[in-house]
Amino acid sequence: MTARIHALGILKAYLGGKSETVVDAGNTVRETLRALNIPSEVVALVVVNEVPQSKEYCVQDGDVIKLLAVVGGGDE
Amino acid sequence: MLRLYAESSKCSGCRACLVACSLNLFKENNPKKAALVIHAEFPTPGVFKVSVCTQCGECAAVCPTGAIKKNAKGAYYVDYAECNLCEACVPVCPENVMFVRTGLADTAWKCDLCGDCIAVCGTDVLSIGEIQATA
Amino acid sequence: MNGYGGQILRVNLSTGKISKEPTPPELARDFLGGRGFGAYFLYREVPKGADPLGPENKLIISSGPLSGLMIPGAGKCDFACKSPLTGGYAGASLGGMFTAEIKYAGLDSIILEGISPKLVYLFIDDDKIELRDAASLWGKGTFAVEKELKEQLGEEFQIACIGPGGENGVAYAHINHDYGRQAGRGGVGTVMGAKKLKAIAIRGTKPIPVADLNAYRQAGMALYDACKKSELLKPWINLGTTMVTSWCDEVGALPTRNFSAGSFEGGKTLYGPYMRQKIVITDKGCFGCPSPCGKYSRMKRYGTNVEGPEYETIGMIGSNLGIPEIEDVAQINLLCDDWGIDTISAGGTIAWAMECYERGIFTKQDTDGLDLRFGNVEAVLELVPRIARREGVGALLAQGVRRAAKQVGRGSEKFAIEVKGMEQSAYATHSATAMLLAYMTADVGAHHNRAWAITYDLQVGRELVNADKVARVIWLQHIRPMFDTLGACRLQWVELNIDLELYPPALEAITGIKRTWKDLELISERIWNLTRMYWVREQPGFGRAWDMPPPRFYTDPPKTGATAGKITSLDDVNKLLDLYYEQRGWDSNGLPKPETLERLGLTQLVAQ
Repeated sequence: MTARIHALGILKAYLGGKSETVVDAGNTVRETLRALNIPSEVVALVVVNEVPQSKEYCVQDGDVIKLLAVVGGGDE
Repeated sequence: MLRLYAESSKCSGCRACLVACSLNLFKENNPKKAALVIHAEFPTPGVFKVSVCTQCGECAAVCPTGAIKKNAKGAYYVDYAECNLCEACVPVCPENVMFVRTGLADTAWKCDLCGDCIAVCGTDVLSIGEIQATA
Repeated sequence: MNGYGGQILRVNLSTGKISKEPTPPELARDFLGGRGFGAYFLYREVPKGADPLGPENKLIISSGPLSGLMIPGAGKCDFACKSPLTGGYAGASLGGMFTAEIKYAGLDSIILEGISPKLVYLFIDDDKIELRDAASLWGKGTFAVEKELKEQLGEEFQIACIGPGGENGVAYAHINHDYGRQAGRGGVGTVMGAKKLKAIAIRGTKPIPVADLNAYRQAGMALYDACKKSELLKPWINLGTTMVTSWCDEVGALPTRNFSAGSFEGGKTLYGPYMRQKIVITDKGCFGCPSPCGKYSRMKRYGTNVEGPEYETIGMIGSNLGIPEIEDVAQINLLCDDWGIDTISAGGTIAWAMECYERGIFTKQDTDGLDLRFGNVEAVLELVPRIARREGVGALLAQGVRRAAKQVGRGSEKFAIEVKGMEQSAYATHSATAMLLAYMTADVGAHHNRAWAITYDLQVGRELVNADKVARVIWLQHIRPMFDTLGACRLQWVELNIDLELYPPALEAITGIKRTWKDLELISERIWNLTRMYWVREQPGFGRAWDMPPPRFYTDPPKTGATAGKITSLDDVNKLLDLYYEQRGWDSNGLPKPETLERLGLTQLVAQ
């Protein structure tokens, strides 16, 4: 039971330069980030199967998860 | 035969399509000279409705000078040199996307299916596809 | 002039005289447009010591060389004036369709001068320009006014108008346009109201000339292509600015109960995905924007619609007032928009009042009987119209938090979260030193949009105080406002991460003048120093003391949330300023040195 993680932008650095990796299902996104050594604070947004989710979302088998880093801005 | 399609529910009212269109038709930055229309329904219900040419050919059928022709894509377009501004085409257009505004141009104008509007639309409103046979 | 409308319109509201002059090429060369034009005309033409509400103040509305063209987000308009809120420089940015119409009418700036003896609105239809009677519009909310004028004049007219807040002189009144976009901060709507100008209705049908048509179409298409290829496009459109709400809560940047903390226990019902699912009905964009951030919402419980709330309003009216439910925030947002007052300053001022009430500095006698506890939605719904009408406690709060706190005294000044008289916007900076510095040094007061540095803080270390951080703030203060100068949105670069280098070829093809980002940054630096000198001229004793942050951020660590126990030291605050002044070429009191002004070509202008 696994899911795919896409790391966008500066988050690639935390995956050793890779933009994709496979993780176990059954943990929350927050727990998964910890396991990957990605500081939660640098992840602005989590998108699961094209839908934004919170970091408490429990990863399901077959999920495609995009991690968006905090980028240079966000106005208003 | 191809035509432009618009999924209005995705339209954000930005008008990038109108500027791209006027640049194609007239080589001008003037969205009032575009060949598609965005109707903004605000403050309620708070949605945009987009009208586009369906390539029905009614305009060409009534044009007395034969100014409305078919281009290489098989789409109807106005040959500016042959338009005499009689305006017969305007009321017959079922989508109200046949334009005559003599203050802006001395010719009628319409969509020629150039596709530039699609290139600038960020919300995937517009697409070109086969004309569907209607019941 | 390629890329420009070509004329400056002057409207003397005292005499009714309407005149035009050609846009000077040297002005376009040195100040470019938009924010640059606004700063230039303000410094040059509004005399020292002018009363912001008097006839000598001017409201300068400027489009930019990218506005109205086939460029992503080509819909930004600058509003500049002497601020009735701060007494210094006000420069507010309006999205939507207004700026494009200014260019199509053959204009670059509209300069509103004097005070009209009658209530009027300005009518512009290409070259037909008139002041028309607005007696029947006066007193009406902004939505009714826009609807009425569009019905009367036609859908092609773009409308910018004030609400009762601007009419009545609320110090932070704003200007509304397109049913949900604002020139928000600094009291630009207040100045419009003081001039007895209710609205501007504009339509233009002229084409905008460009230098190299084919190169421009190519460069424009390249920009759109980059936006559409961005992996960030769909998530951004989905949530807009509300994308950061949950992140701010998580990292302690979400202003909570008058900035007493940076995380809000009620925050989950304010987050972006919850908002989208609960109230959002349409994504709404500015001119030419492929990445519409506007979220048009339907509040079922109230039976109303609003464009928003944006992150700023969610922070300032939601968590900062202890209000957890997004639908309530949206309704308060609507009231502010319709009555015509800035949601950020309103939120900051009401939060101050709530803290005073909870601490017993205010009693119910002081608050017209309103139970001004944090979280009391009903009280806020009551209060917004009272502020706009300047009635009772509304009259106190309508002055903005600095003057209100000064008037009340009783130790309430400690809780006024403002810099230079402008209420701080929605990033809590207990422990985020770049963002703290950004608020301290922004040119209009404590506004975030000049140097949005909060994510940089979290990337490199929130407590770090070093030259690199300061350099980053300065760089952002040049790059970001450059978009306001060009008249286009910066969020395609900021949020979609498109390549900045796509812009210079477009600008060159449009204007015929080649400029690199280095050239553009220099123009931004020039504008930044000019507005700094405006403060120096207008505020006696202006200097370092005016750049200090609210004491809360170096004395009062949050008790809860992600930044519990964290605070910046006063030592670090001063260190930040020392580094900033040094890098800016300013003296230790924060005044631009003569050689800096000389390098930027400002010596003569500021000698006047």
